[in-house]
Amino acid sequence: MDGFGGTTLRINLSTEEIERTPTDPEFARSWMGARGFVSKILYDEVPRDADPLGVDNRFIISTGVMTGAFTPVGSKVGFGCISPATNGHADSSMGGHLGPELKYAGYDLIICEGIAAHPSYLYIDDDTVELRPAGDYWGMGSLELEERMKNDLGEDFQIATIGPSGENGIVFSCITHDFGRQAGRCGVGAVMGSKRLKAIAVRGTKSLPVHDLKSHWKLTYDIIQRTKTHPNMAPWQKYGTAFFVGWSNERGCFPTKNFQETYHKDWEKIDGERLVEDCLVSDKACFGCWMNCGKYTRARIPGKPDTYQEGPEYETIALVGGSCAFTDINHVAYANHLLDNIGMDTMSGGSTVAFAMECYQRGFITKDDLEGHELRWGNIDDFEHFVRMIAARRGIGDVFARGTKGAAEAIGQGTIKFASQAKGMEFSGYDTRWYPAQLLSYCTCDIGAHHSKSWTITTDIELGRDTIEGKAAVVIYLQHIRPLFDTWSCCRLFWGELDVTPEEHVETINYMTGWDITLDDCMQVSERVWNLNRAHFMERNGGPGRSHDGAPARHLEEPIPDGPAKGKVVGRENFEAMLDDYYANRGWDKDGNPTREILEELGIGYAADNLEKIGLLGKPIPGGIPKVRGKKLKPKAM
Amino acid sequence: MVIYLRSGGKLRERLKPDVDQYTRRVEVEGTPSLNEILADLGIPDGLVAFAFAEGTFRRLDYRPSEGEIVTLQPPVSGG
Repeated sequence: MDGFGGTTLRINLSTEEIERTPTDPEFARSWMGARGFVSKILYDEVPRDADPLGVDNRFIISTGVMTGAFTPVGSKVGFGCISPATNGHADSSMGGHLGPELKYAGYDLIICEGIAAHPSYLYIDDDTVELRPAGDYWGMGSLELEERMKNDLGEDFQIATIGPSGENGIVFSCITHDFGRQAGRCGVGAVMGSKRLKAIAVRGTKSLPVHDLKSHWKLTYDIIQRTKTHPNMAPWQKYGTAFFVGWSNERGCFPTKNFQETYHKDWEKIDGERLVEDCLVSDKACFGCWMNCGKYTRARIPGKPDTYQEGPEYETIALVGGSCAFTDINHVAYANHLLDNIGMDTMSGGSTVAFAMECYQRGFITKDDLEGHELRWGNIDDFEHFVRMIAARRGIGDVFARGTKGAAEAIGQGTIKFASQAKGMEFSGYDTRWYPAQLLSYCTCDIGAHHSKSWTITTDIELGRDTIEGKAAVVIYLQHIRPLFDTWSCCRLFWGELDVTPEEHVETINYMTGWDITLDDCMQVSERVWNLNRAHFMERNGGPGRSHDGAPARHLEEPIPDGPAKGKVVGRENFEAMLDDYYANRGWDKDGNPTREILEELGIGYAADNLEKIGLLGKPIPGGIPKVRGKKLKPKAM
Repeated sequence: MVIYLRSGGKLRERLKPDVDQYTRRVEVEGTPSLNEILADLGIPDGLVAFAFAEGTFRRLDYRPSEGEIVTLQPPVSGG
């Protein structure tokens, strides 16, 4: 089977049975990989009432059709499950080397069922697949364990680990690999921990069959030649993502003090320039990549041990640095290491601590709740103590282990108003009150609020930040094109910044597989996945669909108090109007329920049958559904 | 004086390159800042995150000199 490893593994962790089957070519073509594979398997296999941290959930490790390809760049691997944060479909990807290694070992997909009798790790060395006792690996930090396992097994094994956070079911736990690459979102690390799976170790030494190697090689060579002299390559190589802090701050979208403000007056002390000047050790790249946008850094804080970590990248600087109001890049980098090693997503982890800091500021929690400690803005000792309380689920840490939504529901007193989350997952590092399309993107996202599925800050700038006109269709286009990269399982950066076209990615896929597909075919797969995830979410959580797309009150009602976006707020009426527009453009009814017409057009009529059985199928749209869903924004020439 | 602005991605479509596929020759009077040059070219505030000249990060208050080649870095999400 060209372009694929060829084998699917199904592992029953309870019985330790390991089943190997050839990867189904029809399944591969219909769902293409990672995010797509996960969507279909979860829909078909997980009972609708299954506890995300229970025996019936699945934990899926999946490569995609482009994993292992050198056309930029097949470095990714996806993880999937029902999310303990949202109770819906979860997919989260990471770069590094694990995905290609799995495929070179011959595996496209690993589906884990059940729960291991004792803490274990999955060992894969080409054809050898074993569940091994985790022993004293259990309890170790993610980064420490990766180093230990490299020592124990060999440097050429690729390792993915969880930390104590994942072992203890904290809903924003991540999976770490390559000493700083994370599948961070949706709590995939908590589900891995619930399976008592501490780590995955893979060595693959086989080759990947490629249908037309000569053409694949030529296209890759041409892209390398073109992109290495591209004007935007050198800034990427030198600075990575941390250099967008100043821009975000000046645009009034940099989350500060748990999104109370959107301008950090000390931003220059935590931005990319300061990171490179004070902390940079070396550049770092994923498999097959010549961009090396990763930044390996050292944090130095008097009285604490030096730490070494990859990052912080923009999102961590925003949600740890800005949102917790730090004023020293070393503190942000140290916090990055703390969260990575303990196994928490720096985005949701940073946001949850920031939310707790605001609760402390307002008196909803006190020193009595914090084992005598405080929880002050910008204080690294308070931050560290509280993170450790959460990881160990000590005292009020157990409440915040549920994320901002879960904590707000437990604390009450109106705190839900300032929990910046959608469907139970925390916002990415962009305030939305002057960026209505970004608010719509977060609130309609199928995995909970996440910029990777639709990032529209520049769309809002292009179309006007004070209007909602025409934005829903652009959000839908982006919600189809951006997740395609998670489905193909390759890096998105070359598309957005270095002019490698999606059509070139499709050309690569055809050379690898022998398929004859178009970008339109791929966009339809992406739309199919989006709609299947919507149906699945409603089947698990009830309806109507619209009831799950709400925005936090702060982002609808509370004008920004200061800075470049002073006085801005989206407003409830505008938000509801955008939702109306969004549903109409998707072919869903006004309650946000998918219609039979759209589900059948996408080849998932069975989801319409299931929605109908529970009374949540959308009402037919007079005049039918739109022929094309979503619209690409065309930049205006000067 | 003349400066050269370079960019790819979405910014390229706004820049209308005329030297090569990424580069636009721009004549300016005096020594304006990049912010002023971008405003004159009709590029909305916010579509350039920072600049890169002579291998170094430049903020948009940077004033290019005669003949200087300046890369414009569009904002991106992520990390």
